[in-house]
Amino acid sequence: MTGRHPPVSARERTIYTTAAAARPSRRGLLRAAVAGAAATAATPLLAACGTAVGEPPGKVALHGDNPGWAAPLKAAGAAMRSVDGVRLVPEVIPSLESFEQVVKSSLRTSKTPDLLKYWSGYRLQDLARTGGIVELEEEWERAERKGWVDPSLRSAFTYRGRVHGLPMNLAYWVFYYNPAVFRDHGLTKPTTWDAFLKAADRLKRAGITPLHATTSGRWPSFIWFQEMLSRQDPQFYDALMNGRARYTDPRTERAMRTIASFADKGWFTSLDMDQATAAAAMVHGKVGMVPGATWLSTSFTGVGGKVGENVDTFVLPMQDPKAKPAMIFESSALVCTVKGPDHIEALRASGAWLHPKVAKAFSHTLQDGSPNPLVPPANAMIAGVAETVRHGKLRLLNRFWELGPPELVESTVDDLAGFLLDPSAYRKTLTTMQGRADEAWKVWKEADA
Amino acid sequence: MSSAVRAGAAATPVKPGRARLRIPTRTPHQAAAEAGSGRLGGRLAGVPWALPAVLFVGVLLVYPFFRSVYGSFFDDNGFTSHYVGLDNYTRLIDDPIFGRSLLNTVLWVAGTLLLPVLVGLAIAVATHRMRRGRIAQLVVVLPYAISGAATAVLWKFILTSDGTLNQVLRAVGLDSLARPWLLEWPASTISMIVASTWQATGLNVVLFAIGLRAIPRDTVEAAELDGATGWRMFRHITLPQLRSMSVVVVGMAVVNSLKAFDMVWILTQGGPARSSETLALTMYREAFLLFHVGYGSAIALVLSVIVVACSWLYLRRQMPGTSPR
Repeated sequence: MTGRHPPVSARERTIYTTAAAARPSRRGLLRAAVAGAAATAATPLLAACGTAVGEPPGKVALHGDNPGWAAPLKAAGAAMRSVDGVRLVPEVIPSLESFEQVVKSSLRTSKTPDLLKYWSGYRLQDLARTGGIVELEEEWERAERKGWVDPSLRSAFTYRGRVHGLPMNLAYWVFYYNPAVFRDHGLTKPTTWDAFLKAADRLKRAGITPLHATTSGRWPSFIWFQEMLSRQDPQFYDALMNGRARYTDPRTERAMRTIASFADKGWFTSLDMDQATAAAAMVHGKVGMVPGATWLSTSFTGVGGKVGENVDTFVLPMQDPKAKPAMIFESSALVCTVKGPDHIEALRASGAWLHPKVAKAFSHTLQDGSPNPLVPPANAMIAGVAETVRHGKLRLLNRFWELGPPELVESTVDDLAGFLLDPSAYRKTLTTMQGRADEAWKVWKEADA
Repeated sequence: MSSAVRAGAAATPVKPGRARLRIPTRTPHQAAAEAGSGRLGGRLAGVPWALPAVLFVGVLLVYPFFRSVYGSFFDDNGFTSHYVGLDNYTRLIDDPIFGRSLLNTVLWVAGTLLLPVLVGLAIAVATHRMRRGRIAQLVVVLPYAISGAATAVLWKFILTSDGTLNQVLRAVGLDSLARPWLLEWPASTISMIVASTWQATGLNVVLFAIGLRAIPRDTVEAAELDGATGWRMFRHITLPQLRSMSVVVVGMAVVNSLKAFDMVWILTQGGPARSSETLALTMYREAFLLFHVGYGSAIALVLSVIVVACSWLYLRRQMPGTSPR
């Protein structure tokens, strides 16, 4: 050792010796390093593991990603027992991402869950393509014959012309506002586009941030894009989302410019304010209007909001009064897997899902809309929105998240987050999105051929 | 060999009155047994004992590793796959998200080396002989008892635009410094490194405190007699004596920063627009969320190579006895 080092003093030698004694062995340290590397690779893999076990007779598990759905599913299960003798056991994986990866990685195995709360639209089609989920055409036909389901929802649950999922809820996308704050500033619920702009302007001058916009949680980045497109040109929204139009179209640019103008006027909240915080801020009069689905209403009531007093909703008016009125809807799909351990009972549960008694128990506990037109609205707010839809003959358009190949949606959500952060770069964003769309639609159509 | 040992023993002069050293010897029978005739108890005697561990490591570590390497040559969406050769690796070069992710990972390594290690060392040294120093150390160590996820949630309250940090800045008239910490890059990555430092420093303080206690008292006293105090004492006595502990602390910091995940996932989910992703997070998103399994495997391999190479090079360099001649 000394031969490889410069000569050292006696004191320094003492130091070296002590240090060497305390030094861990090379092999031990290298082993620790390799273990660290292994842990790096293993952590996400462990997170990806998920299994399902069979339930005892008379019970069937339904897996979902939303903890807030546990109680409504239990209520639906209790009602289902009296209808068909099967009880639902909710199993929640409280993360959208973890839930999706568990579903996709287990679908080909016998460890897959029996029933799933999944998304409608292209996400459902993506799952149906795997051959891992059951066609529910018969169940749909029977429900439609009995008037238990709104027939206009069918396309959102169809793959290659056959139904592969049943609608669970029916959420409408609305704007929440605080009637008390509006009253204080001489405003009423906007029924025209100009009234909406005027309300935002007046709130801004009163020191209230007029509109909630956010990238928090990632997926909400698409909200303003879908709202603007559907209010400016619903036909174009439908075409764009289904790959029949281009992101570089002047109509998309117009929607982006409108959003950019709102940002320039300082109408948006900070982009890291999540929906729950925005709900509280609106109830306390700090934020004017919050776009969201009807399922968000529990966030408002949870922070002391009282429907009609300091929380109410309106459907964002059409910017182009000549366009056919439209609004965005969202509906989760009840899906039955091929390889689930309690397959027969899962099919029975699917058949009973849209029964008015079951649908009512579910939607009333969830406090959201029901796809079954025979179910009375869960509360006055839902009743008001449903009435607006029926009375105004609004065209229902599926949500951005469920439209287009999932890979494309996942990426464009990130692009839209970038746009919200730098609205002036909207042209670049649209070019990027079109590039992604070209590739994603090509892959999607090839796989579908 | 055994006969040479016996010969050596016979040739050793034995001083009168001194106890004779007992030198182990083997009989010809034992030597023959060692030569190995297939009987258990020879060189293969340890194999049955090692087999469970070998199987365990093989199934859980070696096989998945090579399976991932194999999978990285395929375009695999989780349901169908086809061979694409090195396409996934060439895609990495052109992918701006991977580039940003790599840069963020480098920032994490640099930041984690600079902040928690230096701060941990400073606190450990400052509180080593301080009155009530242990209480001070305990306060610093406490955050380490909190999980990474809980730490991230806590820091979210601090770092959002309307969060505590900006409120404090505005309250003291430093409005110009207030910013949306988690929405702008590189502020987002740097903020998360600071949050991680708040948690990780405690462990480093503990390790350095142990190292400081292991320094022989006579060494310190000798240095004091020579007039070494303050910075000179730290530079020439304390720091060299802590070398072995520094090797461990820095090594752990490097590996932990390379696999940074939970803090980033909870605070920003890698966003906005994937700007704050690290390699571990990019791999997770590609493989498990976007179901680009082959591409995710390629990223995992790149990450593994970086982790192992960094650890290996660092540890070899830190071992004087094993440095190249």
